[in-house]
Amino acid sequence: MIVRPARTADLPALIDLARTTGAGLTTLPANEERLAHRVDWAEKTFTGEAERADADYLFVLENDAGLVVGISAVAGAVGLREPWYNYRLGLTVSASQELNIHRQIPTLFLANDLTGNSELCSLFLRSDHRTGLNGRLLSKARLLFIAEFRELFGDKVIAEMRGMSDDQGRSPFWESLGRHFFKMEFSQADYLTGVGNKAFIAELMPKFPLYTCFLSEDARNIIGRVHPDTEPALTMLKGEGFSYQGYVDIFDAGPAIEAETAKIRAVRDSQALVLAIGTPGDDATTYLIHNRRREDCRITVGAARLAAGTLVVDPLTAKRLRLSVGDQVRAVPLSARG
Amino acid sequence: MLVMRPAQMADLSEVQRLAADSPVGVTSLPDDAGRLRDKIAASDASLAAEVSFNGEESYFFVLEDSDSGHLLGCSGIVASAGYSEPFYSFRNETFVHNSRELKIHNKIHVLSLCHDLTGNSLLTSFYVEQALVGSVWSELNSRARLLFVANHPERFADAVVVEIVGHSDDHGDSPFWDAVGRNFFDMTYAEAERLCGLKSRTFLAELMPHYPIYVPLLPDAAQEAMGQVHPRAQVTFDILMREGFETDHYIDIFDGGPTLHARTSGIRSIAQSRVVPVRLGEPTKGGRPYMVSNGLLQDFRAIVADLDWVPGKPVILSLEAAEALGVGEGASVRLVAV
Repeated sequence: MIVRPARTADLPALIDLARTTGAGLTTLPANEERLAHRVDWAEKTFTGEAERADADYLFVLENDAGLVVGISAVAGAVGLREPWYNYRLGLTVSASQELNIHRQIPTLFLANDLTGNSELCSLFLRSDHRTGLNGRLLSKARLLFIAEFRELFGDKVIAEMRGMSDDQGRSPFWESLGRHFFKMEFSQADYLTGVGNKAFIAELMPKFPLYTCFLSEDARNIIGRVHPDTEPALTMLKGEGFSYQGYVDIFDAGPAIEAETAKIRAVRDSQALVLAIGTPGDDATTYLIHNRRREDCRITVGAARLAAGTLVVDPLTAKRLRLSVGDQVRAVPLSARG
Repeated sequence: MLVMRPAQMADLSEVQRLAADSPVGVTSLPDDAGRLRDKIAASDASLAAEVSFNGEESYFFVLEDSDSGHLLGCSGIVASAGYSEPFYSFRNETFVHNSRELKIHNKIHVLSLCHDLTGNSLLTSFYVEQALVGSVWSELNSRARLLFVANHPERFADAVVVEIVGHSDDHGDSPFWDAVGRNFFDMTYAEAERLCGLKSRTFLAELMPHYPIYVPLLPDAAQEAMGQVHPRAQVTFDILMREGFETDHYIDIFDGGPTLHARTSGIRSIAQSRVVPVRLGEPTKGGRPYMVSNGLLQDFRAIVADLDWVPGKPVILSLEAAEALGVGEGASVRLVAV
């Protein structure tokens, strides 16, 4: 398995993938024209033709047979072209010592606070490939890429995690809030944002802060909580240093987690090394390895060991990276504890 | 004969009897001797004061059966709402959330906490015994105040407002309170109103939500209660609506009852009342009921009498009516048809 930039030739495979994602993944709409446009932008992004505001680093996960089985992406910056909305979960206190009242009312404030940050998005792995290290490779490859090309990204990286919804895709948060203002189904609103039609959010959203006591109990309970399917992704990113700071999605109240770019484990701990080919041996660690290229970026995982400034990998790993002995790599242990 | 006159300290125990029977939402009539004593004292002082524009004064009148000395009703006027502490209302507002692209045009109803009605004169403390509801005496109990305003315009503002007690059920629970205020206080409507009467409404109002409330988020029962009148307050509501008061713009922040308002000069009893000279005599039969006031301050009196009055002519009052008003031949009275 390797992670590499998406290309126009991947389009049919990407459309197949998009059709299986369901609601909640706003950045991968099953719309052929939009996807074609997106891949086109991704190619321009990797060749350095896009400004950070428009940059869309779209990666695919490809198996050794050349089949695309997953995607992930990083946006150079959010909110620099169109407003980027989140709710910030704050607190209103209603208190009087004399009346012996102390009420804490969580309150949602519409905010553009996350504007300008880079965003991890569009993670999707075909269900029959959710095994082994595939998920971690697909997600963390982005972080290693950021580590290599630090100047292309913002000071913070964010990731919006899919919020709670039921088996029918109904979000209790949407039913209690968004529905009153948008007069449409969650899936439709979700689709419209996915295809880039974001102006309607600003036009239809409530602009004043919202006391959550006016939402249904179901809605209140899921603010900042992720969909069960997204738990593993959340755990993984927390391990990389991401944390929930009270920002949630305006539609489904899923958490928008964030990390200072410099403090992301893969950024902080990764190092540039020279490749050696050999036998990693019994004390080898599973490494995430990048060939340090942008346009021809290839990232994989493999057993490796550090030896005097070199990273010793087996021949298959070197082949996946299309590298030879003596080439430059950037590497970090795949997980914090190796 | 029933006579409306300023309350005196000697009325205290009778006034408290009325207050005890008044609905829970009439916080201007607390069942509390200390507060009622203050109320009568304030009225006394206001009537004695030389006043050239409306300030901190308040006036409190009682409806007395002059034969038995019993009190059957009361009503009051505060010269300036919010004079010594802020006067809170919810303002009904409409925001249009419009998306041309999606062809969505939503009118969103919002309640905003405001002080708009500060400085207006405020009708308060209305109570009549159940037996009088629907009678001319009930009209007198409310509208004698308006004749008083007509006679002493310098003591009142250009606009008059009145808060009508809102809907609450047989258990004394208010759906509007339960959906709104209760979140911020954690006490029942009855407890809150009791506290309002004992301390002040402002005391509690300061704990109310300061951001606007989106009405579509409130439960149906609370939305239906907005602008609804408590059955016991229907009498005063009906009287004032006939006087030309308007509703719909403001509601009470606790129970959602309507707050009526009118330009002082446009109120019917003020605009249509006339000051005419008095003749003593035997009123001819077949007249119609009029409210008649003597136009005085500390000795203000108002009664209902059947009169056969012709506009532009003096009014012929019976000796009994003249005595009740404390006027003699040649004096002037202000009158308006009931």
